Amino acid sequence: MSKVVSLAEAVATVEDGSHVALGGFAITRCAVAAAHELIRAGKRDLQVSQVTGGLDTDLLAGGGCVRKIVSSGGSIDRFGPLYAANRRILNGEIDFEEFSSLSVTLRFHAAALGLPYLPARSMLGSDLLGNLLGRSDGVRLERDPFTGAPVAALAPLRPDVAFVHADVADEEGNAVIGGPTWNIRELAFAARRTVVFAEEVAPAGSLDPDRVTIPAPFVRSVVLTPFGAHPTAVVGRYDYDRAHLELYASAASEGGDAYARYLDEYVLGVESHERYLERVGFVP
Amino acid sequence: MSGWTPGEMMAVAASHEISNDDVVVVGLGLPQVAALLAKGRHAPAATLALEIGVFGASSTTPSMGIADPRMWEGARAFGGIVDVLGYLLHGGRVTLGILGALQVDGAGSINSSLVVNEDGTVRRFRGSGGSNDLASLSGRVLVVMRHEPRKFKQRVDFLTNPGRLVDGRPRAEAGLPGHGTTAIVTDRAVLDVTEHGLALRSVHPGESVAAVAADTPLPLDTSGTHQTAAPTEDELQLVRHELDPHRWYTA
Repeated sequence: MSKVVSLAEAVATVEDGSHVALGGFAITRCAVAAAHELIRAGKRDLQVSQVTGGLDTDLLAGGGCVRKIVSSGGSIDRFGPLYAANRRILNGEIDFEEFSSLSVTLRFHAAALGLPYLPARSMLGSDLLGNLLGRSDGVRLERDPFTGAPVAALAPLRPDVAFVHADVADEEGNAVIGGPTWNIRELAFAARRTVVFAEEVAPAGSLDPDRVTIPAPFVRSVVLTPFGAHPTAVVGRYDYDRAHLELYASAASEGGDAYARYLDEYVLGVESHERYLERVGFVP
Repeated sequence: MSGWTPGEMMAVAASHEISNDDVVVVGLGLPQVAALLAKGRHAPAATLALEIGVFGASSTTPSMGIADPRMWEGARAFGGIVDVLGYLLHGGRVTLGILGALQVDGAGSINSSLVVNEDGTVRRFRGSGGSNDLASLSGRVLVVMRHEPRKFKQRVDFLTNPGRLVDGRPRAEAGLPGHGTTAIVTDRAVLDVTEHGLALRSVHPGESVAAVAADTPLPLDTSGTHQTAAPTEDELQLVRHELDPHRWYTA
Protein backbone atom coordinates (compact mmCIF):
# COMPACT_ATOMS: atom_id res chain seq x y z
CA MET A 1 0.00 0.00 0.00
CA SER A 2 1.36 3.40 -0.91
CA LYS A 3 2.11 5.77 1.97
CA VAL A 4 2.74 8.72 -0.32
CA VAL A 5 0.87 11.86 0.73
CA SER A 6 1.20 15.55 -0.09
CA LEU A 7 3.22 18.00 1.99
CA ALA A 8 0.02 19.76 3.09
CA GLU A 9 -1.60 16.45 4.09
CA ALA A 10 1.44 15.42 6.14
CA VAL A 11 1.59 18.73 7.97
CA ALA A 12 -2.18 18.86 8.55
CA THR A 13 -1.84 15.90 10.92
CA VAL A 14 0.32 17.98 13.29
CA GLU A 15 -1.90 19.49 15.95
CA ASP A 16 -1.04 22.63 17.88
CA GLY A 17 0.98 21.63 20.94
CA SER A 18 2.47 18.55 19.29
CA HIS A 19 5.97 17.31 19.95
CA VAL A 20 7.91 17.34 16.68
CA ALA A 21 11.35 15.73 16.30
CA LEU A 22 13.58 16.93 13.47
CA GLY A 23 16.23 14.83 11.77
CA GLY A 24 18.43 17.64 10.47
CA PHE A 25 21.70 18.82 11.98
CA ALA A 26 22.77 22.47 11.68
CA ILE A 27 22.94 22.97 7.88
CA THR A 28 22.52 19.41 6.69
CA ARG A 29 19.33 17.44 5.94
CA CYS A 30 17.01 19.94 7.61
CA ALA A 31 13.27 19.46 7.08
CA VAL A 32 12.93 22.93 5.57
CA ALA A 33 9.95 22.22 3.29
CA ALA A 34 8.10 20.82 6.31
CA ALA A 35 9.06 23.79 8.49
CA HIS A 36 7.79 26.20 5.83
CA GLU A 37 4.47 24.35 5.61
CA LEU A 38 4.08 24.29 9.42
CA ILE A 39 4.62 28.06 9.48
CA ARG A 40 2.16 28.60 6.61
CA ALA A 41 -0.39 26.44 8.42
CA GLY A 42 0.00 28.63 11.52
CA LYS A 43 0.89 25.82 13.92
CA ARG A 44 1.46 26.94 17.49
CA ASP A 45 3.00 25.75 20.76
CA LEU A 46 5.09 22.97 19.25
CA GLN A 47 7.82 21.22 21.21
CA VAL A 48 10.79 20.75 18.89
CA SER A 49 13.42 18.12 19.68
CA GLN A 50 16.61 17.88 17.67
CA VAL A 51 20.05 16.67 18.70
CA THR A 52 21.72 19.83 17.41
CA GLY A 53 19.31 22.52 16.32
CA GLY A 54 19.45 23.55 12.69
CA LEU A 55 17.87 25.92 10.22
CA ASP A 56 14.49 24.15 10.48
CA THR A 57 14.32 24.75 14.23
CA ASP A 58 15.27 28.39 13.76
CA LEU A 59 12.61 28.88 11.07
CA LEU A 60 9.92 27.30 13.26
CA ALA A 61 10.99 29.41 16.24
CA GLY A 62 11.12 32.58 14.18
CA GLY A 63 7.77 31.72 12.58
CA GLY A 64 6.13 31.67 16.01
CA CYS A 65 5.37 27.93 16.04
CA VAL A 66 7.49 26.86 19.03
CA ARG A 67 6.90 26.76 22.78
CA LYS A 68 9.74 24.48 23.83
CA ILE A 69 13.06 23.20 22.45
CA VAL A 70 14.96 20.13 23.63
CA SER A 71 18.46 19.90 22.13
CA SER A 72 22.18 20.14 22.80
CA GLY A 73 22.17 23.66 21.38
CA GLY A 74 22.48 24.40 17.72
CA SER A 75 23.61 26.75 15.00
CA ILE A 76 23.69 27.27 11.29
CA ASP A 77 27.38 26.47 11.57
CA ARG A 78 29.70 29.29 10.60
CA PHE A 79 26.77 31.23 9.14
CA GLY A 80 25.75 32.03 12.70
CA PRO A 81 23.86 30.93 15.82
CA LEU A 82 20.14 30.14 15.83
CA TYR A 83 19.32 33.84 15.97
CA ALA A 84 15.54 33.57 15.93
CA ALA A 85 15.36 30.71 18.45
CA ASN A 86 17.91 32.30 20.78
CA ARG A 87 16.03 35.60 20.77
CA ARG A 88 12.81 33.90 21.85
CA ILE A 89 14.63 31.78 24.44
CA LEU A 90 16.22 34.90 25.95
CA ASN A 91 12.92 36.79 26.13
CA GLY A 92 11.14 33.83 27.68
CA GLU A 93 8.81 32.92 24.82
CA ILE A 94 10.50 29.56 24.32
CA ASP A 95 11.45 27.15 27.08
CA PHE A 96 14.84 25.56 26.31
CA GLU A 97 16.12 22.35 27.86
CA GLU A 98 19.76 21.71 27.01
CA PHE A 99 20.93 18.10 27.18
CA SER A 100 24.21 16.67 25.87
CA SER A 101 24.16 15.21 22.34
CA LEU A 102 24.36 11.65 23.61
CA SER A 103 21.66 12.28 26.22
CA VAL A 104 19.19 13.52 23.60
CA THR A 105 20.01 10.51 21.43
CA LEU A 106 19.69 8.01 24.29
CA ARG A 107 16.34 9.52 25.24
CA PHE A 108 15.06 8.79 21.71
CA HIS A 109 16.68 5.35 21.93
CA ALA A 110 14.88 4.62 25.22
CA ALA A 111 11.56 5.62 23.67
CA ALA A 112 12.25 3.52 20.58
CA LEU A 113 12.97 0.47 22.75
CA GLY A 114 9.96 1.07 25.01
CA LEU A 115 12.24 1.37 28.04
CA PRO A 116 11.14 3.28 31.16
CA TYR A 117 14.51 5.07 31.17
CA LEU A 118 18.17 4.59 30.22
CA PRO A 119 20.99 5.18 32.69
CA ALA A 120 24.02 7.11 31.41
CA ARG A 121 27.18 8.71 32.73
CA SER A 122 26.87 11.88 30.67
CA MET A 123 26.19 15.26 32.32
CA LEU A 124 27.05 14.05 35.86
CA GLY A 125 28.52 16.82 38.02
CA SER A 126 27.78 19.49 35.40
CA ASP A 127 25.66 22.63 35.41
CA LEU A 128 23.81 21.12 32.43
CA LEU A 129 22.43 18.46 34.77
CA GLY A 130 22.04 20.99 37.59
CA ASN A 131 19.87 23.18 35.38
CA LEU A 132 17.69 20.26 34.32
CA LEU A 133 17.09 18.57 37.68
CA GLY A 134 13.74 19.56 39.10
CA ARG A 135 12.91 21.61 36.00
CA SER A 136 12.84 18.97 33.27
CA ASP A 137 10.99 15.68 33.35
CA GLY A 138 13.70 14.29 31.06
CA VAL A 139 16.34 13.34 33.61
CA ARG A 140 16.82 12.39 37.26
CA LEU A 141 19.95 11.76 39.26
CA GLU A 142 19.70 8.15 40.49
CA ARG A 143 21.97 5.40 41.73
CA ASP A 144 23.05 2.27 39.92
CA PRO A 145 21.12 -0.46 41.81
CA PHE A 146 24.11 -2.82 41.49
CA THR A 147 27.03 -0.58 42.49
CA GLY A 148 25.41 2.45 44.08
CA ALA A 149 27.26 4.78 41.68
CA PRO A 150 25.46 7.94 40.54
CA VAL A 151 23.85 7.73 37.09
CA ALA A 152 21.74 10.09 35.02
CA ALA A 153 18.38 8.34 34.49
CA LEU A 154 17.24 9.58 31.08
CA ALA A 155 13.51 9.53 30.42
CA PRO A 156 12.25 8.39 27.02
CA LEU A 157 11.72 11.19 24.53
CA ARG A 158 8.72 10.18 22.42
CA PRO A 159 7.79 12.65 19.70
CA ASP A 160 4.25 12.76 18.35
CA VAL A 161 5.76 13.10 14.92
CA ALA A 162 9.27 12.87 13.44
CA PHE A 163 10.21 14.71 10.26
CA VAL A 164 13.14 13.10 8.48
CA HIS A 165 14.70 14.08 5.17
CA ALA A 166 15.84 11.15 3.04
CA ASP A 167 17.64 10.73 -0.29
CA VAL A 168 15.05 8.33 -1.61
CA ALA A 169 12.11 6.39 -0.20
CA ASP A 170 9.95 3.77 -1.77
CA GLU A 171 6.15 4.02 -1.76
CA GLU A 172 5.97 1.70 1.27
CA GLY A 173 8.24 3.98 3.31
CA ASN A 174 11.64 2.28 3.17
CA ALA A 175 14.05 5.20 3.33
CA VAL A 176 17.66 5.59 2.25
CA ILE A 177 19.89 8.13 3.96
CA GLY A 178 23.52 8.38 2.84
CA GLY A 179 26.46 9.49 4.98
CA PRO A 180 26.52 9.67 8.76
CA THR A 181 23.04 9.39 10.25
CA TRP A 182 23.65 11.08 13.66
CA ASN A 183 20.41 10.25 15.54
CA ILE A 184 18.00 10.08 12.62
CA ARG A 185 17.26 6.38 13.11
CA GLU A 186 16.68 6.77 16.85
CA LEU A 187 14.17 9.59 16.48
CA ALA A 188 12.42 7.93 13.54
CA PHE A 189 12.05 4.75 15.61
CA ALA A 190 10.93 6.71 18.70
CA ALA A 191 8.13 8.77 17.17
CA ARG A 192 4.46 7.82 17.17
CA ARG A 193 4.39 8.87 13.51
CA THR A 194 7.39 9.27 11.25
CA VAL A 195 7.10 11.24 8.04
CA VAL A 196 9.85 10.83 5.47
CA PHE A 197 10.46 13.73 3.09
CA ALA A 198 12.25 12.29 0.08
CA GLU A 199 14.21 13.75 -2.80
CA GLU A 200 12.86 10.87 -4.89
CA VAL A 201 10.09 8.33 -4.45
CA ALA A 202 10.71 4.87 -5.92
CA PRO A 203 8.30 2.00 -6.63
CA ALA A 204 7.61 -0.30 -3.68
CA GLY A 205 10.30 -2.94 -3.30
CA SER A 206 12.69 -1.39 -5.80
CA LEU A 207 15.35 -0.27 -3.31
CA ASP A 208 18.47 -2.27 -2.43
CA PRO A 209 17.73 -3.51 1.12
CA ASP A 210 21.43 -3.06 1.98
CA ARG A 211 20.97 0.69 1.61
CA VAL A 212 17.77 1.11 3.60
CA THR A 213 18.34 3.22 6.73
CA ILE A 214 14.76 3.29 8.02
CA PRO A 215 12.58 0.24 7.28
CA ALA A 216 8.98 0.80 6.25
CA PRO A 217 7.27 -0.39 9.47
CA PHE A 218 8.59 2.71 11.22
CA VAL A 219 7.29 5.09 8.56
CA ARG A 220 3.73 6.42 8.44
CA SER A 221 3.94 8.69 5.41
CA VAL A 222 6.20 9.58 2.52
CA VAL A 223 6.25 13.03 0.93
CA LEU A 224 8.00 13.76 -2.34
CA THR A 225 9.95 17.00 -1.77
CA PRO A 226 12.79 17.48 -4.24
CA PHE A 227 15.27 20.00 -2.81
CA GLY A 228 13.15 19.84 0.34
CA ALA A 229 16.15 20.56 2.55
CA HIS A 230 17.21 23.68 0.64
CA PRO A 231 19.11 25.83 1.61
CA THR A 232 20.70 23.09 3.75
CA ALA A 233 22.71 20.24 2.24
CA VAL A 234 21.73 16.69 1.35
CA VAL A 235 24.82 14.54 1.18
CA GLY A 236 25.61 13.35 -2.33
CA ARG A 237 22.69 15.31 -3.81
CA TYR A 238 23.27 19.01 -3.29
CA ASP A 239 25.40 21.36 -1.27
CA TYR A 240 24.12 23.95 1.15
CA ASP A 241 23.23 27.22 -0.57
CA ARG A 242 25.82 29.60 0.79
CA ALA A 243 24.22 32.76 -0.63
CA HIS A 244 20.79 31.89 0.73
CA LEU A 245 22.12 30.94 4.17
CA GLU A 246 23.96 34.26 4.31
CA LEU A 247 20.73 36.02 3.34
CA TYR A 248 18.87 34.13 6.07
CA ALA A 249 21.55 34.78 8.69
CA SER A 250 21.54 38.46 7.90
CA ALA A 251 17.74 38.74 8.25
CA ALA A 252 17.65 36.54 11.36
CA SER A 253 20.49 38.39 13.01
CA GLU A 254 18.74 41.71 12.44
CA GLY A 255 15.34 40.33 13.49
CA GLY A 256 12.20 42.46 13.56
CA ASP A 257 11.11 43.77 10.17
CA ALA A 258 14.07 42.26 8.33
CA TYR A 259 13.12 38.78 9.55
CA ALA A 260 9.42 39.38 8.84
CA ARG A 261 10.36 40.38 5.29
CA TYR A 262 12.35 37.17 4.88
CA LEU A 263 9.37 35.09 6.05
CA ASP A 264 7.02 36.98 3.72
CA GLU A 265 9.33 36.57 0.76
CA TYR A 266 10.21 32.88 1.15
CA VAL A 267 7.61 31.25 3.42
CA LEU A 268 4.29 33.04 3.95
CA GLY A 269 4.17 34.66 0.54
CA VAL A 270 4.63 31.40 -1.39
CA GLU A 271 1.81 28.89 -1.29
CA SER A 272 3.80 25.70 -1.84
CA HIS A 273 7.21 24.08 -1.89
CA GLU A 274 7.20 24.25 -5.70
CA ARG A 275 6.62 28.02 -5.62
CA TYR A 276 9.43 28.36 -3.05
CA LEU A 277 11.81 26.55 -5.37
CA GLU A 278 10.86 28.93 -8.18
CA ARG A 279 11.37 31.90 -5.88
CA VAL A 280 14.91 30.84 -4.94
CA GLY A 281 15.76 30.30 -8.58
CA PHE A 282 15.23 26.66 -9.46
CA VAL A 283 13.88 26.44 -12.99
CA PRO A 284 12.07 23.16 -13.60
CA MET B 1 59.76 31.33 5.80
CA SER B 2 61.12 31.36 9.32
CA GLY B 3 59.13 31.64 12.51
CA TRP B 4 55.58 30.55 13.07
CA THR B 5 52.23 31.93 14.18
CA PRO B 6 50.79 31.36 17.68
CA GLY B 7 48.10 29.24 16.03
CA GLU B 8 50.68 27.03 14.35
CA MET B 9 52.56 26.64 17.61
CA MET B 10 49.32 25.68 19.35
CA ALA B 11 48.44 23.09 16.68
CA VAL B 12 51.92 21.55 16.80
CA ALA B 13 52.04 21.45 20.61
CA ALA B 14 48.55 19.91 20.72
CA SER B 15 49.54 17.27 18.16
CA HIS B 16 52.33 16.13 20.49
CA GLU B 17 49.69 15.20 23.07
CA ILE B 18 48.31 12.54 20.69
CA SER B 19 49.96 9.14 20.56
CA ASN B 20 49.80 6.27 18.14
CA ASP B 21 47.38 4.18 20.17
CA ASP B 22 44.95 7.00 20.92
CA VAL B 23 41.30 6.82 19.90
CA VAL B 24 40.35 10.47 19.49
CA VAL B 25 37.04 12.26 19.04
CA VAL B 26 37.63 15.71 17.61
CA GLY B 27 35.63 18.72 16.56
CA LEU B 28 36.13 21.25 13.84
CA GLY B 29 39.04 23.67 13.77
CA LEU B 30 42.34 23.60 15.56
CA PRO B 31 41.70 20.26 17.33
CA GLN B 32 41.20 18.63 13.95
CA VAL B 33 44.35 20.22 12.52
CA ALA B 34 46.29 18.94 15.55
CA ALA B 35 44.86 15.44 15.20
CA LEU B 36 45.61 15.22 11.47
CA LEU B 37 49.12 16.57 12.10
CA ALA B 38 49.71 13.82 14.66
CA LYS B 39 48.44 11.21 12.19
CA GLY B 40 50.67 12.63 9.46
CA ARG B 41 53.74 12.57 11.70
CA HIS B 42 54.23 10.52 14.86
CA ALA B 43 50.83 8.85 15.34
CA PRO B 44 49.79 7.32 12.00
CA ALA B 45 47.70 4.62 13.69
CA ALA B 46 45.67 6.98 15.86
CA THR B 47 41.90 6.60 15.31
CA LEU B 48 39.84 9.72 14.65
CA ALA B 49 36.06 10.00 14.85
CA LEU B 50 33.46 12.78 14.65
CA GLU B 51 30.51 12.67 17.04
CA ILE B 52 27.85 12.56 14.31
CA GLY B 53 29.06 9.14 13.14
CA VAL B 54 32.13 9.63 10.95
CA PHE B 55 35.16 7.38 11.35
CA GLY B 56 38.60 8.16 9.96
CA ALA B 57 37.84 11.34 8.03
CA SER B 58 40.98 13.20 6.95
CA SER B 59 39.44 16.29 5.38
CA THR B 60 41.58 19.36 4.92
CA THR B 61 38.88 21.21 2.98
CA PRO B 62 37.64 24.22 4.94
CA SER B 63 34.27 23.21 6.38
CA MET B 64 31.42 25.21 7.85
CA GLY B 65 30.83 22.70 10.66
CA ILE B 66 30.94 18.99 11.48
CA ALA B 67 27.72 18.43 9.53
CA ASP B 68 29.26 20.02 6.41
CA PRO B 69 29.90 17.05 4.10
CA ARG B 70 33.34 18.52 3.25
CA MET B 71 34.35 17.58 6.78
CA TRP B 72 33.78 13.86 6.05
CA GLU B 73 36.22 13.56 3.15
CA GLY B 74 38.42 10.50 3.47
CA ALA B 75 36.02 8.79 5.88
CA ARG B 76 36.51 5.05 6.28
CA ALA B 77 33.07 4.36 7.73
CA PHE B 78 29.81 6.11 8.56
CA GLY B 79 27.51 5.40 11.48
CA GLY B 80 25.60 7.57 13.91
CA ILE B 81 25.85 9.22 17.29
CA VAL B 82 25.13 5.93 19.04
CA ASP B 83 28.16 4.46 17.25
CA VAL B 84 30.59 7.24 18.20
CA LEU B 85 29.28 8.85 21.40
CA GLY B 86 27.55 5.63 22.48
CA TYR B 87 29.51 2.48 21.66
CA LEU B 88 32.91 4.12 21.18
CA LEU B 89 32.78 6.80 23.90
CA HIS B 90 30.27 5.62 26.53
CA GLY B 91 31.61 2.13 25.88
CA GLY B 92 35.00 3.27 27.17
CA ARG B 93 37.02 3.07 23.96
CA VAL B 94 37.86 6.75 23.51
CA THR B 95 41.23 7.54 25.09
CA LEU B 96 41.34 11.24 24.22
CA GLY B 97 38.83 14.01 23.67
CA ILE B 98 40.01 17.38 22.39
CA LEU B 99 37.88 20.39 23.29
CA GLY B 100 37.95 24.16 23.14
CA ALA B 101 36.95 26.23 26.16
CA LEU B 102 35.63 29.69 26.94
CA GLN B 103 36.93 29.31 30.48
CA VAL B 104 38.69 26.69 32.62
CA ASP B 105 39.25 26.39 36.36
CA GLY B 106 42.17 24.86 38.27
CA ALA B 107 40.70 21.35 38.03
CA GLY B 108 40.27 21.63 34.27
CA SER B 109 36.50 22.11 34.45
CA ILE B 110 35.32 23.65 31.19
CA ASN B 111 32.78 26.33 30.40
CA SER B 112 31.74 26.13 26.77
CA SER B 113 28.24 27.54 27.22
CA LEU B 114 28.08 31.16 28.32
CA VAL B 115 29.98 34.11 29.72
CA VAL B 116 28.63 36.47 32.35
CA ASN B 117 29.58 40.02 31.35
CA GLU B 118 30.77 42.54 33.91
CA ASP B 119 27.35 44.22 33.87
CA GLY B 120 25.75 40.90 34.82
CA THR B 121 24.25 40.20 31.40
CA VAL B 122 24.80 36.77 29.94
CA ARG B 123 26.30 36.01 26.57
CA ARG B 124 25.28 32.54 25.36
CA PHE B 125 27.19 30.58 22.77
CA ARG B 126 25.98 27.77 20.59
CA GLY B 127 25.27 25.13 23.18
CA SER B 128 27.41 22.29 24.33
CA GLY B 129 26.70 19.70 21.62
CA GLY B 130 28.71 16.57 22.42
CA SER B 131 31.39 18.33 24.46
CA ASN B 132 29.93 17.25 27.79
CA ASP B 133 29.81 13.65 26.62
CA LEU B 134 33.47 13.86 25.60
CA ALA B 135 34.59 15.52 28.82
CA SER B 136 32.54 13.10 30.91
CA LEU B 137 33.51 9.86 29.22
CA SER B 138 36.92 10.10 27.48
CA GLY B 139 39.97 8.53 29.09
CA ARG B 140 41.55 11.98 29.19
CA VAL B 141 40.74 15.41 27.78
CA LEU B 142 42.99 17.94 26.11
CA VAL B 143 41.80 21.54 26.13
CA VAL B 144 43.01 23.82 23.35
CA MET B 145 42.40 27.53 23.90
CA ARG B 146 43.91 31.00 23.74
CA HIS B 147 45.90 32.08 26.76
CA GLU B 148 44.08 35.06 28.23
CA PRO B 149 43.77 35.92 31.93
CA ARG B 150 39.95 36.15 31.75
CA LYS B 151 39.75 32.53 30.62
CA PHE B 152 41.35 31.13 33.81
CA LYS B 153 38.71 31.29 36.54
CA GLN B 154 38.49 30.32 40.19
CA ARG B 155 34.97 29.20 39.30
CA VAL B 156 33.83 29.01 35.72
CA ASP B 157 30.65 30.98 34.92
CA PHE B 158 28.92 27.78 33.80
CA LEU B 159 30.27 24.29 34.40
CA THR B 160 29.51 22.63 31.09
CA ASN B 161 32.08 19.89 31.45
CA PRO B 162 33.59 18.56 34.70
CA GLY B 163 37.37 18.30 34.98
CA ARG B 164 39.45 16.21 37.36
CA LEU B 165 37.41 17.15 40.41
CA VAL B 166 33.69 17.67 41.00
CA ASP B 167 32.96 20.01 43.93
CA GLY B 168 36.55 19.44 45.06
CA ARG B 169 36.17 15.64 45.19
CA PRO B 170 37.57 13.05 42.75
CA ARG B 171 35.32 12.85 39.72
CA ALA B 172 34.78 9.10 40.19
CA GLU B 173 32.64 9.91 43.24
CA ALA B 174 30.25 11.77 40.93
CA GLY B 175 30.02 8.63 38.79
CA LEU B 176 32.39 9.82 36.07
CA PRO B 177 34.94 7.53 34.40
CA GLY B 178 38.30 8.69 33.05
CA HIS B 179 40.60 11.44 34.27
CA GLY B 180 38.94 14.54 32.86
CA THR B 181 41.15 17.35 31.62
CA THR B 182 44.81 16.41 31.96
CA ALA B 183 46.43 19.10 29.82
CA ILE B 184 45.71 22.54 28.38
CA VAL B 185 47.54 23.69 25.28
CA THR B 186 47.43 27.43 24.64
CA ASP B 187 49.11 29.73 22.16
CA ARG B 188 51.74 30.49 24.83
CA ALA B 189 52.26 27.39 26.94
CA VAL B 190 51.36 23.82 27.85
CA LEU B 191 49.78 23.31 31.27
CA ASP B 192 49.30 20.03 33.09
CA VAL B 193 46.13 19.64 35.13
CA THR B 194 46.69 17.55 38.24
CA GLU B 195 44.44 16.75 41.20
CA HIS B 196 46.33 19.51 43.01
CA GLY B 197 45.84 22.19 40.37
CA LEU B 198 47.65 23.60 37.37
CA ALA B 199 51.33 23.07 36.63
CA LEU B 200 53.14 24.99 33.92
CA ARG B 201 54.75 22.19 31.96
CA SER B 202 56.38 24.34 29.30
CA VAL B 203 56.32 27.79 27.80
CA HIS B 204 56.53 28.18 24.04
CA PRO B 205 59.71 29.62 22.50
CA GLY B 206 59.85 33.37 23.03
CA GLU B 207 57.67 33.27 26.17
CA SER B 208 58.93 33.69 29.72
CA VAL B 209 57.67 31.74 32.72
CA ALA B 210 56.98 34.99 34.56
CA ALA B 211 54.91 36.50 31.74
CA VAL B 212 52.81 33.38 31.26
CA ALA B 213 52.32 32.95 35.01
CA ALA B 214 51.22 36.58 35.28
CA ASP B 215 48.51 35.91 32.70
CA THR B 216 47.36 32.72 34.45
CA PRO B 217 45.46 34.05 37.47
CA LEU B 218 45.20 30.70 39.28
CA PRO B 219 47.62 28.85 41.58
CA LEU B 220 50.33 27.60 39.22
CA ASP B 221 53.23 25.25 39.92
CA THR B 222 56.22 26.45 37.91
CA SER B 223 58.83 24.22 39.57
CA GLY B 224 59.29 21.94 36.58
CA THR B 225 58.68 24.34 33.69
CA HIS B 226 60.79 23.90 30.58
CA GLN B 227 60.55 25.24 27.06
CA THR B 228 58.15 23.72 24.52
CA ALA B 229 59.94 22.15 21.56
CA ALA B 230 59.84 24.52 18.60
CA PRO B 231 57.81 23.37 15.60
CA THR B 232 59.98 21.60 13.04
CA GLU B 233 60.09 22.72 9.43
CA ASP B 234 58.31 19.48 8.46
CA GLU B 235 55.49 20.13 10.88
CA LEU B 236 55.04 23.69 9.66
CA GLN B 237 55.07 22.61 6.03
CA LEU B 238 52.38 20.01 6.70
CA VAL B 239 50.17 22.51 8.52
CA ARG B 240 50.64 25.30 5.96
CA HIS B 241 50.42 23.35 2.75
CA GLU B 242 48.12 20.43 3.55
CA LEU B 243 46.19 20.66 6.79
CA ASP B 244 45.19 24.33 6.96
CA PRO B 245 46.11 25.72 3.55
CA HIS B 246 43.56 28.53 3.76
CA ARG B 247 44.85 29.49 7.23
CA TRP B 248 41.39 29.36 8.78
CA TYR B 249 42.63 28.11 12.13
CA THR B 250 46.35 28.71 12.44
CA ALA B 251 46.81 32.19 10.96
